[in-house]
Amino acid sequence: MSRLSHVIAAGRPVGRLVERARALGGPVLGLAVGPAQVADELARTGVERVFWFETGPDTPVEAQALGLAELVANRPGHVWAGRTAGERVLLGAAAAALGAPVLTDTVDLAAPDGRLVARQAVLAGRVWQTVTFDRPVAILLEGGSAESDDSAGPPAPVEPMAAQPYALRQTDWRPTGRAPVDLKAARRVVAVGRGLKAESDLGLIEALARALGAELACSRPLAEGLGWLPKDRYVGVSGQQIAPQLYCAVGLSGQAQHLAGARAAEIIVAINSDQQAPIMSEADYILCGDLYQVVPALIKALP
Amino acid sequence: MRIVVAHKWAADPQEAIVTSDGRIDQSRAQPCLSEYDAVAIALARGLADSVGAELVGLSVGGPEAASPLATKTALARGLDSILVLADQALASADSTTTAQALAAAVTELGDVALVLTGDCSIDRGARMTPAVLGGLLGWVTLTEVSALSLDRTSLTVERELEHGRQTLVLSPPAVLAVAAGAVEAPAPGMRDVLAAARKPVRQLALDQFDGDWGPLGQVQDRTLAPAPDRRGIVIATTDPTAAAAELIARLERDGLTWAGRP
Amino acid sequence: MTGQPDFDVIVVGAGLAGAVAAHQLAQAGLNVALLERGSQAGSKNLSGGVLQCQGLKTVFPDFLDQAPVERVIDRQQLCFLNQSSHVTLDYADQRLRQAGSAVTVRRARLDPWLAERAEAAGAIVMTGIRVDALLRQDGQIAGVTAGADELRSRVVVLADGANSFLSRLAGLRRAPARHQQAVGVKATFKLPAETIEERCQIDPAGGLALTMVGDCTQGVAGGGFLYTNRDSLSVGLVLNLGELVRRGGDSSLLFERLLAHPLISRLLRDSQLLEYGCHLVNEGGLAMVGRTVFDGLVLVGDAAGLTINTGLTIRGMDLAVSSALAAAAGVTRAIAADDTSAAGLKECRDAFDRSAAGQDLRLFAQAPAFLANERLYGPYGELLADLMFGLHHLDLSPRRHLLAQARRSLRRSPLSLGRLLLDGLKGARAL
Repeated sequence: MSRLSHVIAAGRPVGRLVERARALGGPVLGLAVGPAQVADELARTGVERVFWFETGPDTPVEAQALGLAELVANRPGHVWAGRTAGERVLLGAAAAALGAPVLTDTVDLAAPDGRLVARQAVLAGRVWQTVTFDRPVAILLEGGSAESDDSAGPPAPVEPMAAQPYALRQTDWRPTGRAPVDLKAARRVVAVGRGLKAESDLGLIEALARALGAELACSRPLAEGLGWLPKDRYVGVSGQQIAPQLYCAVGLSGQAQHLAGARAAEIIVAINSDQQAPIMSEADYILCGDLYQVVPALIKALP
Repeated sequence: MRIVVAHKWAADPQEAIVTSDGRIDQSRAQPCLSEYDAVAIALARGLADSVGAELVGLSVGGPEAASPLATKTALARGLDSILVLADQALASADSTTTAQALAAAVTELGDVALVLTGDCSIDRGARMTPAVLGGLLGWVTLTEVSALSLDRTSLTVERELEHGRQTLVLSPPAVLAVAAGAVEAPAPGMRDVLAAARKPVRQLALDQFDGDWGPLGQVQDRTLAPAPDRRGIVIATTDPTAAAAELIARLERDGLTWAGRP
Repeated sequence: MTGQPDFDVIVVGAGLAGAVAAHQLAQAGLNVALLERGSQAGSKNLSGGVLQCQGLKTVFPDFLDQAPVERVIDRQQLCFLNQSSHVTLDYADQRLRQAGSAVTVRRARLDPWLAERAEAAGAIVMTGIRVDALLRQDGQIAGVTAGADELRSRVVVLADGANSFLSRLAGLRRAPARHQQAVGVKATFKLPAETIEERCQIDPAGGLALTMVGDCTQGVAGGGFLYTNRDSLSVGLVLNLGELVRRGGDSSLLFERLLAHPLISRLLRDSQLLEYGCHLVNEGGLAMVGRTVFDGLVLVGDAAGLTINTGLTIRGMDLAVSSALAAAAGVTRAIAADDTSAAGLKECRDAFDRSAAGQDLRLFAQAPAFLANERLYGPYGELLADLMFGLHHLDLSPRRHLLAQARRSLRRSPLSLGRLLLDGLKGARAL
């Protein structure tokens, strides 16, 4: 089996993925989708070559899925991509072209004697399994910059690709005006769940986050069902997966799907009125009580 | 013209039982139609009505996907009919195999302008099946769709992205994953459930289609995820002020400081 | 409003009574809807777990082979539990297995199976429907409403469980008195089948039903149970609601105490908790049944208050089946005769009263009053243990004759010989 890897870049940093792909021991090619800048950045991550699928300012990266899939089909190998909407669609097209399984929630990956051995978290993180593959796979992993700076060498050559994109055009864009949040960069996070009775009570949780010097996060229902907070603030299997120093879960039951995104935190504090809530057995400090009493007391007590 | 909603009859992983040796027992978990799928069907119903299209449900999965409960639950949400591809080989199929089965069924159905899906499945939550399906069909694929309208030649799609609302125009056919909160999906009423009992259910058999439906990788072992190494210190909250002081003192002992906060 | 009804019969609630009634009515050729508020039949139901299945076998002759039955009970144990001791009466009999009349079941599996049988017989099963109220027309019940929708029928069979919210809402029945209801607490623990068989001394085909009285309720009227499923054990506690409230007891604390008792904790060692639930249980016997047939409406099962507290067990499921069979026969006859008034539906009740279950209900009419006797839930168990201790503990005093030992134990007990005789007599009459 080929040890070749492709790493897809579509606007977000992927240095970490290139690093992981190189660790498998085979050559790593870059597949850049977007404006020239994306290809240039990818060229400096340590890949051998970059194939560049250009998209104009009004074309989303999804338009290049077909061209990218064709290239991968002609050079079969593992395909790596980050977790944003566009990256997923490009990765899915590549997996379709190869008939490759998509590995999500991968804990560990190795390629001894050529076959791929993956350690995966399944069942919303409750079970770990080891699976071996004798074929190329598609790997969905958290992107991000490389851990070690390896950009000293000359950039890899960039080859523009002339693929026919899908007829897909952006006709309108209305920014929400909200500043983007990077939960992953936050050292402390206060996350709130359905224990919060009303949207207007968010102010209380925001005040606690300020007092702790933390970023505000939430469970999925608050971002998607109720829409009280933007989607980039929800933590969970399909949302943000973070590893802060302090994770303070307020009125949050801690279903497996949520905890899978926060389990790597160093210290977990749970404030919840339900003693049976799963979060209570996964916390360092457990405050079983009414958040409407405990949170104001905490805000007041913080220096 | 047909609009297809691919949906999944699956159980919440929270309900499965995991034994200490990592074996997964799903026998007590009740499969359901997830909220995500209900939202996709509700959005698709509105769209189908606006253009006079037929709305077909497509469910791929293990044998229980063909149960009357499964098909009626989906039909009651407003589908015109349902197509089921149920086989033991698909019971715990991964995103790629599921997408391959869906693609086979969509091709066999014919005259499909759009395939809609929910944001993710309740059991795996990988959010990859629409992307692989789009790749297999060679159709434009977009996720996180919050609104859409269709006319004879073009499809207008709105997406709520992290920092803005995007409007896109494309030509069908397409695969679209619908955002979780796109529309309200009220519980079906008695008349809906009654009507569902009389709607057509068509079953496909997996052996109609070429392909190797076996697992794509070999599972070597399964274990319980390592137990979190947490201290589990209970701080009594009968006096909230005292509880707050104790928590802060303990966090400080863990090395947290409050200087230099933003 | 007066158009053709949507159905001949609407059955509300897909538990045992509802599903069996719907099955029988559909088989009789009637147009039947079976409405269930849960997403699946049985998803809201909880029972101790032992089903006397003779009634179901008359409906489904292949019941034991086809239905999701866990184990056939062929070992019965009655245990007087004290804080640190227990005395057990153990009865095992091959004939029990051959008869196959008592089986353990899990409602989450049995109820969907029954609903499927009803569906196969032609009933329309509608899940996820929460019925809000009964519809009336010309003084007669004429259907149900749920949300914005109405469904009309000639007869409604109400099988909506122990609290029968709908019949109370319609002003047809009153809420049961506290002393007529009990709180059932139950948990299920997963264990390998072989471990269960070894610990409970049963065969792969057999099963154990263990009934406990005494310390497990700390004097509150009620008892505990442990039943063997295929690969799990169900452990529960039934506590009279009136008594529990009067004594200020806490059902979950009592339950935890039961689980910690050496007898139980040994059986549950290394098991995994699967589910835990609480449920209201009727236990008022005949006194709480009252009227069950109205114009256009028949109550069955728990909704009709049908239970027998035999002292060892609370029978409910088999009465549910019997009342459903009787109701189906009566409704079929009433519709054929085109008289669905209370008078036309009278056979629903009469057929039940004639049935074995109906006769049992009258036979045990005095049981609830007898069982309210608190001596049953404490002193008797200690008396027995004391007696056994005296017989088996060889201290340096000379052995006494059994009768003498018994007298001695009785003297230490708060019970008097007169009390003992009186209770014995009352029990023999009531049970």
